[in-house]
Order: sequence, then structure tokens, then C-alpha cells
Amino acid sequence: MDDFIIQDCTLLSRTSTVPPAINLRELRDRLANCRPQVIYHHFCETTLVPSFDNPDYRNDFAVWAKLYIGDRVLAEQLGIINPYAYTDLEKLREEVLEILDQRLSEVYDIASCQSGSEFFFTEAVTVVFDTGLRVSTPEALPEAIGKMTNGSIYYHFLESRRREPVGLDDFSTWLSNFPDQEAGRHNLQMLDYSFSTLTELRNELVQALEKGGAS
Amino acid sequence: MTKNLSSYEGLVSATVINELRQLGERLAGKKVVHVNSTREGGGVAEILDWMVPLMQDVGLDVSWEVIEGTSDFFSVTKKFHNGLQGFPVHISSQEWQTYREVNETNAVRLRPILEEADLVVIHDPQPAPLMGLCPNRKGKWIWRGHIDVSRPTRSVWQGLRPFVAGYDASIFSMCQFAQTLPHPQYLIPPSIDPLSPKNIDLDPEELSAVRYQYNLDSQKPLLVQISRFDRFKDPLGVIAAYKLVRKSQPVQLVLAGGGASDDPEGQQVLEEALEAAAGDPDIHILLLPSDAHKTINALQRLASIVIQKSTREGFGLTVTEGLWKGKPVIGGDTGGIRLQLVNYHTGFLVNTPEGAAHRIRFLLHHEKLRNVMGIKAREFVRENFLLTRQLREYLTLFHIVSSNDGSSTIFI
Repeated sequence: MDDFIIQDCTLLSRTSTVPPAINLRELRDRLANCRPQVIYHHFCETTLVPSFDNPDYRNDFAVWAKLYIGDRVLAEQLGIINPYAYTDLEKLREEVLEILDQRLSEVYDIASCQSGSEFFFTEAVTVVFDTGLRVSTPEALPEAIGKMTNGSIYYHFLESRRREPVGLDDFSTWLSNFPDQEAGRHNLQMLDYSFSTLTELRNELVQALEKGGAS
Repeated sequence: MTKNLSSYEGLVSATVINELRQLGERLAGKKVVHVNSTREGGGVAEILDWMVPLMQDVGLDVSWEVIEGTSDFFSVTKKFHNGLQGFPVHISSQEWQTYREVNETNAVRLRPILEEADLVVIHDPQPAPLMGLCPNRKGKWIWRGHIDVSRPTRSVWQGLRPFVAGYDASIFSMCQFAQTLPHPQYLIPPSIDPLSPKNIDLDPEELSAVRYQYNLDSQKPLLVQISRFDRFKDPLGVIAAYKLVRKSQPVQLVLAGGGASDDPEGQQVLEEALEAAAGDPDIHILLLPSDAHKTINALQRLASIVIQKSTREGFGLTVTEGLWKGKPVIGGDTGGIRLQLVNYHTGFLVNTPEGAAHRIRFLLHHEKLRNVMGIKAREFVRENFLLTRQLREYLTLFHIVSSNDGSSTIFI
């Protein structure tokens, strides 16, 4: 069996060409027309963006709805979306637009944010590189994960879900080559990663594998 | 002492250090030149002071050049600074000419090194025209704007934009600061060096010495704002807030800052602060030399609460410094301070002296909460706002601009 190749990635945010939104209607209209990378960034890559906050919600749209336009209903509806459940970003866009259109039909006054708190549409460029590190056995995987950077955790456990085989993390895919690692695989796939920072997620992955017998 | 990455092991994980080395290895030997307008004083010089040796340590061939200017030139660029931050200023045609001429003079000296570099990073507006003065440049040029240019005085930005537009990329600290430009604009928040004299852990004896030196009362809560004496840092607003708090409880205030060689306006603001503080022995206004980093460090550590009540701010690194020392920070609701302060979490955002006074009293009253917020704040800084993160993002940018690959994922 091939070794597990530990990749790392670093991400750099950049502005998009989409103007900032000051209210729900502008958010809706801009989101309808932005590049898919913008949607992906605000749903998935935001976890790699430096922050002083550990927000309630894991996507930037929900956080903005709650903190800056004070729409807690919308925040809850957007906050529960699992972006990795969508194999196609256009489907994710459709789902978000549906929620926004529904909300626009419910509210009488469309709240605006304060100046300086607009929603800024950004995207990112990711640089991926081979760390040179390899894992040869499932038993060595927990320790290797424990030493990974946040970039590696993101790349192998979250970003991997966009790649073939779609919807699976790289660790599970590799472990599927080892019939006796079913418990560990199962634990990884049951892990609810929605509420964890990458640092927390690293520890949870190690625990999930160790509980599955890989240690 | 030359800085190297291994010194930071323990503060960040060995894996983080290794990641930087791997990013650097793939850029090994690239000639990188940083250019700014002052070797000491102000946030940019502090960043370059660590960034240059650490980039060298990961394998890049890096140098730091400083443009030389006349007092007229720095008066003009100070007006740029104010204008870009929204203060109404008028730049005369003579002043624009001074700006261009000083850059032309510097270009004669710097052209050989700049034209040969693989990557040139120009910091802030002062040296921005250099790119246009290096017609045989072979590398990529990046303009790094450290200032809050979210609402610039239109005429100032219109005058500066042609000097910046031709760059291959620009960097801003926050998306709020970015402007419409015909090249990619990357977002890199600044960071602090935990081993610099301004941030390194200090012995209790060192803290006591500073307390004694400045005649601070160990029994009274201490409020500290560390900033240049600059109108946008609102030292008068801090004094007003202090006076409001003082009505209900004993408290003392330190306003401490250095001058910078490219800031001719500081003396006037300092005099206004001295006048506002006159006759109050619990207000300590300290004009510190540019190398008083350990004194600043000690004052922040002695503080009960760190203040940064700016009305306009670039990123506001003094907020991160305060948070790193485990202090909640009360900051102006502006610029990069908004990124750093989350109410009840790492500190409080305020808009007025009254708001600042209210939050000061709240935090002085809730000592346990103050300590919990301080511990949490330090961990956020460790995770996201130490120099290792910023170095990683610069190296990432160097890979991106060097690759000439327009895709959103680049494999190196």
C-alpha cells in the first residue's frame, strides 16, 4: 500500500471584484453574481483566515447577518448550512439564494449595517506543497496528525471533500485500504467538524482515530 | 542580535517553523528588496526589523533599503498620511513636485538593486514612485499599504493612484482598506514579534523599575495608551475618558509614545496633550525615545487595561501587543481595531470618551472577567497574530506572484 503523503497548504485572501454589501438585498444580488470561488471562500476557507473571534457560525454570511445587520433568524438559517454537503458550488449558491429570497419576503424593513461593517466579498489563492513527510501505517497516523499544521488539517480533512472521491476526507480514503481500520474510518466520518477551529479539529481527529484503535 | 526562526520554537510549534522553512526553500536565492521611509519609529520599521532577517533565515536573499528625504518631503508625506486617512488636506503642485524629486534622487541610488531584484516590496506611499523610475526592472513589484485608506481624501488618492496602479500586486491589512486598482489586492494583517524587546516576557524587577522610574502608584489601577502623538490616536479623548473615570474611582493614566523621523506633526499634538493634562499628577505623558521598547513593554504589562482609542487607525498593532500581554483592550471602533476587539471577548470597541470611560469602569469592576478575557486574548494572538503567520503569508504571496498562474490553487 502507498504511504500517506502529507501535503500542506497556505492560503492568502484577496479582494474580489464584487462591491461590498450594506444590506440583505445587496448581499443577495451580489452573491447571485459573484465567482464561485467567493462563495467557497466565505463558506469553507474562512476557517484558515486569521481572526480574533471564534464565532457561533462557521460561514461569513451567517456571522455578518448576526453581528452586523442583527438578523438572528437569517443567521440561524445560514449558519446550519454544511457547504461540504454540496458537490457543486452552484447548488450551494442556489440554496443560499433561496434562503435569502425567503427572508427578503418576510421582512418589512431591510436592515443595513453601519458604515465600516459592510460585507466584503473576498476570495483566496491557495498554495499547496508536499511536506516530504509520509505515513506508512495506520498506527502512525494519529501521531502524524497531531503534528500537522492547520493547513495540512484543512487540506486533508476539509478541502479534500471537493476532490475525488468527492465528500470524503483524505484520511478516510487512505484508511479504506486497511480492512482492520473500519472503526477509525467510521469515527472520522461521524466527526462533526462544524464547531471546531482547526486546532481543535486536529485534537478531535487524533482522538477519533485512537478510539478506533489506531495508535 | 540576528533573529532566526528557531528562536520562536516554544512560542509556536516546530511544525509551524518547519512549514515556513519549506515555503522558503522553494524560493531559495530569490532577491527580495523591501523599501520604506524610516529605519526606526513606527510600525513599518518594526515589522521590517524582524521580517528581513527571518526571510533571510528561510533562504531568501533579502535587503532593506530606506529612502532619504528632506524635511519638506516628510511634511508632504505626512500630509499624504493624514489625507489617506480621511483628514482634509491640500497637496500643492510644488509639494507633488517635492515628492517626485526626492524619489528621483533616491532612484539614482537604488536603481541597480531594485532593477535586479526578483521581488520588490514598497511600503506605504513615500517610496511608491520608485517603480516608475526603474524602467529596466525584471522582477515583480508589490505595493504594501499599511494605512487605513478606506475613505481617503479624494485628491490625495487620485494623485497617488498613478504611482501605485502599475504594480503587479498590492497588500492591504484589511479588505476595508483596499481601493480599486488594476491588479490583485491581497490581504495580510500585520503581526507582532513575541521576542522583540517590546513583547518579550519581563522579570518582575524590570516592571518595578519602570513603575519607580515614572512614579506610578502600585495601588491605583493603571490605564495605558501607547501611541505616537498623532491626532488620529485621540490622546485628548483618552484624557477626557480618564477624567470621567476619575470622578468615581482613583485611577492613573499613562500616555506614552515615541516620535518618528517621518512625523513632523507629533510635537504639536504632544503639547496639546500636555496642556489637557496640566496639574493632574496621575496623568503621565511620556515622550519616549524610539528605542524605549522595554519601557513600553513594561508599561503595557503594568496596565490594568490597555487603551487604543484611535479615531482612525491602520491596523493598530498596539492592540495586539496589549492582548499578547494578557490585557483586555478598549479601542476605538475603527480600522483594524475592529478585527481585534470582540466585545466581552478580547476587549471593547468604543466611539466616544464617554464610551471609553464606561468600559474602563466596567472592566475595573469585573476583575475576574478582565483576567479571563486577557487569557483568551493571548491565545488568539498566539494562533493568528504572531509574526510567523505574517511571514507565511508573505512567502505565500511571493509564490503566487512568481508563479504567473492565475488559478486559485497553485501547486509548488
